[in-house]
Amino acid sequence: MRRFLNLTPFIAFGILVVLLYSFLNQENEELESVLVDQSVPEFQLPELEDPENLISKSNINNLPALINVWATWCIACRVEHPFLMQLKNESILTVYGLNYKDDRQKALNLLERDGNPFEFSIFDEYGKLAIDLGVYGAPETFFVDKTGIIRERHVGVLNDKVWKDKFEKFLKEDNEDK
Amino acid sequence: MIAELGHIFLISSLVLSLSGGISAFFLKKELPIQKFALLMTLLVTGAFFALIYSFVIDDFSVAYVAQNSNINLPIYYKFAATWGAHEGSLILWILSMNLWLLAFLSFNKSGSINFSNIVFGVCSLVIFSFLLFTIFTSNPFERILPVPPLNGADLNPSLQDFAFTVHPPLLYFGYSGLLLPFAISIAAMLSSVPNRDWASASRPWTLLAGSFLTVGIGLGSWWAYYELGWGGWWFWDPVENAAFIPWLLTVALVHSLIVTENRNLFINWSLLLSIFAFAASLLGTFLVRSGILTSVHAFALDPERGLFLLGIFSFFVLGGLIIFAFKNSTKNQSSDYSINSKEFGLLLNNLLLVVLAVSILFGTLYPLIYEAYTGGKQISVGAPYFEFIIFPFSLMLGLLQGIALYLSWGSTKSFNFLGKLIIESLSIFLLTLILLFVLFEDLIPASFITIFIFAWLISGSIFFNFSFRSLEKYLDFINRRIGVLLSHVGMAILVLGVGVVSSYSNEKELILDPGDKIKFHNKDIEFLGIRDVKGPNYISKAAEIRVIDDNRSFELQTEKRTYFPSGQVTTEAGIETGIFGDFYVSMGDNFNGDSWSFKLQSKPFIRWIWFGALLITLGTFVSSINMVRRLS
Repeated sequence: MRRFLNLTPFIAFGILVVLLYSFLNQENEELESVLVDQSVPEFQLPELEDPENLISKSNINNLPALINVWATWCIACRVEHPFLMQLKNESILTVYGLNYKDDRQKALNLLERDGNPFEFSIFDEYGKLAIDLGVYGAPETFFVDKTGIIRERHVGVLNDKVWKDKFEKFLKEDNEDK
Repeated sequence: MIAELGHIFLISSLVLSLSGGISAFFLKKELPIQKFALLMTLLVTGAFFALIYSFVIDDFSVAYVAQNSNINLPIYYKFAATWGAHEGSLILWILSMNLWLLAFLSFNKSGSINFSNIVFGVCSLVIFSFLLFTIFTSNPFERILPVPPLNGADLNPSLQDFAFTVHPPLLYFGYSGLLLPFAISIAAMLSSVPNRDWASASRPWTLLAGSFLTVGIGLGSWWAYYELGWGGWWFWDPVENAAFIPWLLTVALVHSLIVTENRNLFINWSLLLSIFAFAASLLGTFLVRSGILTSVHAFALDPERGLFLLGIFSFFVLGGLIIFAFKNSTKNQSSDYSINSKEFGLLLNNLLLVVLAVSILFGTLYPLIYEAYTGGKQISVGAPYFEFIIFPFSLMLGLLQGIALYLSWGSTKSFNFLGKLIIESLSIFLLTLILLFVLFEDLIPASFITIFIFAWLISGSIFFNFSFRSLEKYLDFINRRIGVLLSHVGMAILVLGVGVVSSYSNEKELILDPGDKIKFHNKDIEFLGIRDVKGPNYISKAAEIRVIDDNRSFELQTEKRTYFPSGQVTTEAGIETGIFGDFYVSMGDNFNGDSWSFKLQSKPFIRWIWFGALLITLGTFVSSINMVRRLS
């Protein structure tokens, strides 16, 4: 009995080691942070509008497109909202939303009130895809070209000037290729 | 060339540590272990300086330098960049393990030859495994050949800061210091030294490691507060937990060793805790550097490194526990103490600290367990869980600490002191209440508990031996117990700071145009305008803010810096510091023209947190130095 008691710390730590080992393998299968000129990382996350509907990389198929990281807690996102609406209304290109660390109901209310510029929004409650994309805040915008490669990234408010300076050239490039 | 020299130094110390470690284990005679340790330390110091040299001369053919430095980086940060990332920090870690070992061998005169040999052997083998890890998976001396880059990628901008340059080394010093209690406990089990001897050999080093951990964690918290621009001082980030768990276990061990040394009790418990504390420091390293937990502190990810570190962890911790299972002290200990004794008080202290540490460990690992068993679904365990856990534990530990210094060994004759303690506490309680009332005008019920615990701790640590009649005796007593008093008073001050800052903090987020004026509490705040600033390796938008407060007026500057080598953006907060509170302003995002969002925060008593931590650091430092002096 006493011998067994003496072994308990060893057994407890043995279990811990096995557990840590399993975490290690699990994590190896995942991708590391993706930067410009790499493809959009794999993910599987629910849709904002419909939690039952799981979205993956293959759903981002209307390319070229923007992926816009937004949240209701982010004041600057509201500032860029009209510009995103303009992109949608003038059918310039598709915008996919990445709703980042947000409350689902609040996010839906905001889209209801101010209009929904997004084809759909990915609901990334814990910032899982955001980590893979290397996001460090909202708003943030990624340009994905028609082959699915991220070409440009902008941190901060997206407006007409930023669009002209940073993103428009990629859209033209894609159109010329056609 | 110099980098190759550093590489050779590392390889030589690898060979030395393995051969030295193994021979010390098997040869039962007197060996020149002190000279051996000195030689190893010199070699690793040589390697460390070779790396510093590569940074200073901008040798971008060394991959590690190219990744973490830049021609435009100020020279001071080129030094600091040496330990700014994974590879270089490992060298520093190994160097500090060597220094701990050398210090132990130079000052410790107790124990048998066999005992010292085993301590040396265990330390050398741990050092060997870290050297192996460094050389094979994280070699800082690797070259980019044949075409080295002309310039480097730059040091992570948020790390270009004074507190950062000293925070990691101090923390590594603390972490690696836990190697000594571990090695001593193994040596105690494998050789036959009296319990009193190994406990008194272990105490000063455990205290000193605790001292370094405290100052390291405190500096990290201070750095996060002003550098990250969020205004928080503790985030329950996995990496913070990875430092907090060893700290809790070290505090537990420091107290348990007192009982082992003085009463020949808690022997197996002290042995186990020594292993646990070391395990926690290795586990922290593993969690941070394998990349299985993502956090603001993340290092470059590499699965191979994780596996290697897990191997080191398993070998030493499981090895230590196997030795414990077969070699622990089986003699029946006389448990001759009653419920109102110092022994029992310390037992409770240990239980609370260890359960708290395990709960925090569980909260840190739970997201991973959850993900593994739900097939990839994610969950995050954040501040609400940890705050929920820590509150009752701090309350109980606080109540206990207040009376702990009154208790005597065996059995406390009477509880006469309770009346005195309550009167003293109440008077301090009232005084603090009045003070807070003057400062904040409204009082929140939750803060009553904090203030009471503060009063209880202060009177419990300072006044229990106080009387006007024998002031001289009291001063002499203070003088002898200065370390104990400083650290316990530090704890009281820290508790008050944490409590007040959590109940009275205020914040407001808003968009301002130049010239806008607003009111925040009793302050009038005016956004004067934006200035362009050019630093050595960054450009910055600096916002000038004028604050008019009752009868004085001051200007603050907050910045949004863009570091050009990496394009990374950092926020520099503008902080007006005061004893009773900080006013904190940080810049958010830019809108049209010069219109920016700002976050205004008031942080009452926040300085008390770090002041408390500083006192604990000093107290433990003084105590350990005194003990080392007594030993040698």
